[in-house]
Amino acid sequence: MKLNFATIVPFLSNDLSKRSRLISYLGLGIGVFILLCSLQMYINLNELLKDKSAPKAGADFLSVTKLITNENMGKNNSFSPADINLLKNQPFIEAAAPLISNQFRVKASAGNIIPFSTDLFLESVDEAFIDTVPPDFKWEQGQVDVPIIFSSDFMEMYNVFAPSQDLPQLSEKTMSSVNIILECYTPFGVKNFRARIVALSDRINSVLVPHNFLTWANKNFGGVSNVNASRVYIKTKDANNPDLINFLESNGLRVNKDKTKFGRVKKVLQGVVTGIGSFGLLVVILSLVLFSFYLQLMIAKSKDNLQLLLLLGFSPQWLGKTMTKKWLPVYAFISLAALLCVCIFQFAFQRFLAQAGQQLSIWVHWSIILLAMALFVLSMITNYRLIRKLLMRL
Amino acid sequence: MQIFLRQVRPIFLEESKITNSEVWDKTLQFNKGEHLHIIAPSGSGKTSLIHFLYGIRKDYTGSILYDSFDITNFDAGRFSGWRQKHLSIVFQDLRLFPEHSVLQNIEIKRSLNPFHSENKIAEMADRLGIASKLDVKCSTCSYGEQQRIAIVRALQQPFDFLLLDEPFSHLDENNRQKAMELMEEESSLRNATIILADLREIEYFKHERKVHL
Repeated sequence: MKLNFATIVPFLSNDLSKRSRLISYLGLGIGVFILLCSLQMYINLNELLKDKSAPKAGADFLSVTKLITNENMGKNNSFSPADINLLKNQPFIEAAAPLISNQFRVKASAGNIIPFSTDLFLESVDEAFIDTVPPDFKWEQGQVDVPIIFSSDFMEMYNVFAPSQDLPQLSEKTMSSVNIILECYTPFGVKNFRARIVALSDRINSVLVPHNFLTWANKNFGGVSNVNASRVYIKTKDANNPDLINFLESNGLRVNKDKTKFGRVKKVLQGVVTGIGSFGLLVVILSLVLFSFYLQLMIAKSKDNLQLLLLLGFSPQWLGKTMTKKWLPVYAFISLAALLCVCIFQFAFQRFLAQAGQQLSIWVHWSIILLAMALFVLSMITNYRLIRKLLMRL
Repeated sequence: MQIFLRQVRPIFLEESKITNSEVWDKTLQFNKGEHLHIIAPSGSGKTSLIHFLYGIRKDYTGSILYDSFDITNFDAGRFSGWRQKHLSIVFQDLRLFPEHSVLQNIEIKRSLNPFHSENKIAEMADRLGIASKLDVKCSTCSYGEQQRIAIVRALQQPFDFLLLDEPFSHLDENNRQKAMELMEEESSLRNATIILADLREIEYFKHERKVHL
């Protein structure tokens, strides 16, 4: 007779409830299925939202401000150099640049052609962050002409509001030819500059002037050398990265919610999928525990026979391995069945999405197969270790 | 293989029994191939000695060595290797599987590390008069028959030491002689040692050494 499980099976008690064993098999199958399905859905989710989160220019630029709440209202809500460094050090932020604003009063008027006058704010930012920087966006000390990059949104707003104020609507070309007078209020009186819009920016909602002009003006007109930024522009590969959203939220920072909309949806869905996955893992663990009770009961009921087998020279290692092997086909079947169910699920999900015009792979991701194999190996190792431990205790 | 006893003292045995013993608290060496007869009255620790040698009990001081290996720290896994290849035993309380057939009881031992073919079981059973019992449940056999089953079972594997703990207590003269002959034949085949512990001297056992416990 060849030495295998069949040799020892007559010596193991079979007077055990089949129901508890079958329930543990079923539970394990369901748990593995839920776990594999959750991972596949997680991957699907990333795949589906990838296109929506990919920025056209290879990177997203987001304006970040500190969230103003009732608690911090009236306090200093500007960014210190340490705050900016913290932003720069995050792996999901490629670069960060502060927007410096004017520290003196500025008024703008367009002379007689357009009878319009308004208090204005000026800002400057690292040129690398501006989408349109013409060669003439330069200023040197002593120069009366100041180039301005104007927000496209502001121009749109002007053209909406102009007719009601009897002002002419302006095209982009006309806008650049309008001479604007910048009246800067200094401790020594008003100093005028000639400003001209040299470009429109879709990215930055502001009135941008060259950095050296604002630094000089803040120092000479406002008496401030180091100005803390009230907002910071960040450059990121993916504005929808949940890590970025989590970081901004946990640090009390605010961004344009529309730009991170998909990221927020993704975050919620990822949370749901992770929750379902955790539930699946719990079911797997409970099933293994239930099966371990079954094994413990079997070993306890066969205690006398197993003790005698050990006395006769059977090693606990061999008995452990052999008894574990007995359930190898069962566990392999459970893992394969769960994997097959995930394949069917993925196929059905793909067909469903195809009807809605969404593209998704019909195949399960390789990591699902790897996870199924890992769970199978984990179950076998758990059983082996338990049986060996129980045998050693006999 | 050799077995060494170094100042082995059962922790439960009274001092007077240890002092007068030729085994307890002495240094002894059991060599491969020799036949040793241990004779002792009840309560002097015969079964304990056999159990110590087989590694079932550890309630003693001193040390027992298989070759150069002290068995004090052996676990069940380590013992199994020695029990499969070097040590076989007939327990005084037999330790059979009562709910299984005689053949299953013998075959389970043979399957672990076969020294003989399957046919040899029937031949041995025939020699000891239990051939007709091979397919019956062990618990239905008489104690004498069960002793013979335990003897046949012990002879199915290779061994250097055959430990016998009162193996003939329920056998008649004729069956004792047959069983002893069979065991001596089998030990000669393996050039193995027989250590036989009994209450009185077994006249059929051709021993080189006699030790009083």
